[in-house]
Amino acid sequence: MIQVRNLTKHFGPNIAVDNLTFEVQAGRVTGFLGPNGAGKTTTLRMILGLVRPEKGTATVDGVSYQRLRAPMREVGAVLDAKAYQPGRKARDHLLALAQASRIPVKRVDEVLGFVGLSDVADRRAGNFSLGMAQRLGIAGALLGDPPVLIFDEPVNGLDPEGIVWIRTLMQGLAAQGRTVFVSSHLMSEMALTASHVIVIGRGHMIADSEVEDLIKRNSGIVVRLRTPKAEVVVPRLVAAGGKIQTSSNGEDDGAIVVTGLEAAAIGDIAFQAGAPVHELSPVEASLEDVFMELTRDDVEFHGTGAGAIP
Amino acid sequence: MTQVPTQTIAKSGFPELGPPGLLDTMRSEWTKLKTLRSTYVILGLGVLFIVGLSALITFLIAANEASELKHGSIPSPLITIQGAQVGWEFALLAFMVLGVLVISGEYSSGLIGVTLLATPQRKRLLVAKVLVFAITLFVFTEVMSFVNFFVGHAIVSAYPAYPNTSLSNNGVLRVVIGMGIYVTLIGLLGLGAGALLRNAAGAIAACVGFLFILPIALSALPDSFSNPIGEYWPTQAGMRIGLLHQDAHTLTAWWGAGDMALFIALLLLLTGYALSKRNA
Repeated sequence: MIQVRNLTKHFGPNIAVDNLTFEVQAGRVTGFLGPNGAGKTTTLRMILGLVRPEKGTATVDGVSYQRLRAPMREVGAVLDAKAYQPGRKARDHLLALAQASRIPVKRVDEVLGFVGLSDVADRRAGNFSLGMAQRLGIAGALLGDPPVLIFDEPVNGLDPEGIVWIRTLMQGLAAQGRTVFVSSHLMSEMALTASHVIVIGRGHMIADSEVEDLIKRNSGIVVRLRTPKAEVVVPRLVAAGGKIQTSSNGEDDGAIVVTGLEAAAIGDIAFQAGAPVHELSPVEASLEDVFMELTRDDVEFHGTGAGAIP
Repeated sequence: MTQVPTQTIAKSGFPELGPPGLLDTMRSEWTKLKTLRSTYVILGLGVLFIVGLSALITFLIAANEASELKHGSIPSPLITIQGAQVGWEFALLAFMVLGVLVISGEYSSGLIGVTLLATPQRKRLLVAKVLVFAITLFVFTEVMSFVNFFVGHAIVSAYPAYPNTSLSNNGVLRVVIGMGIYVTLIGLLGLGAGALLRNAAGAIAACVGFLFILPIALSALPDSFSNPIGEYWPTQAGMRIGLLHQDAHTLTAWWGAGDMALFIALLLLLTGYALSKRNA
């Protein structure tokens, strides 16, 4: 389990991480979401002892990273896939990491096989594609068979096959009872991978919640309405407090997207206006929609859902 | 989403193995050092300069002076040493660069972020890097120094009229061993500068300035300034252990080496402090 308490960090006058408190539980994939520049990587680097927090603490199973006795056997992390010297062979890169952590040397070939790099183990890693680099980074993270795994934007630059592989891998690791913490700015990816998400914006907490709850709680009411007498209905909807958006899928199929009014209320208004209704359907927001909504005005949502985990 | 039962929470990897220590970090650093091509290129250059170039110069001096002998001039008895030392001037630059690369390569590639995940004890990491590099360079340069001496000795032997030098001559053994000590310290100067500046070009420039440019600039000052400073200037003082004779305004061989070793030790302490304070 990863515990972060009141973590704070400025870079010059800019606040990178603003009093973050959260826990990442074992046995599930936790997504760490936020727009670019939200402070995700800085938070991860503080958890891993690479950046010193100004205030607050970050611990793994109660111990700060710097005090872990065998860190790579406790935490596996991939921050930057290309963090290796290009002239060194993949196997030698992993060998040096294994030796530094007192991990059996035979483990090197095991993880190389697992990530599918056995055939290129003796090639210089500088010639690796980004996908191969990600696999080499993941091999390094798995080297110590650690109970906690941290990945920073692992699917960046991967082809669809690689993305599916990483998604399956992360879910498999969580199913083994490991703590899996994955940062991403791709909401759609996290919707498929994570069961729990922590959302930050400009360094502070926006949401810390189960994915389903987050969507339910923040969906608002979105209803699709299709009617041939839109010009009559729309002013009445607006008068009743509804907001009109353009069609959600961007196609002009005659549908109106209404927010702020229940489907039943919209139906009643249309009936009173004498307008025939061809479609009236509540729309479920995606995690993507929720995220856009949350991060658009992150101050308003400050602290929403923080500490929701028991 | 359901909470997993506590008993299925994964445990630390390889619990049967003890925590890693300095020797494990050194083993890792040794693997890193011997799996980069630049290490072999630079040590190869070292062989070329120390043995190859020195042998050539020794041969040229010996051949030249042997011909002058016929004209009745007085032979220098220390030709083996003189000729043997030319190549070191070039080799020490190469070793300084290797020292810089040992650490700056980790910063330029981003590997340092992974290295520090494996060994978050930054002082231990620096100690391991310094020990592995210093031992490797010392063993290598000592071997090269003796090879260099015996090659030079053999070349001079080809001119029987010429007085040769042997290891039992006064100070010769000290000079042969001392050259290895001096260039090892130069290598550590590079490592310290590389770790402080975290950038190869900057560190190499700083070392060249320290080794060559500042001492030359110093000599432009009045002797009352330049003599005492030059006497203790670490790289000038350290050089004395590899030279046969003491010149005016220089430290003796061992005091000079001690002066430089002390400076390098302080530099590495500063490096350790910076490494543990900085974000990386």
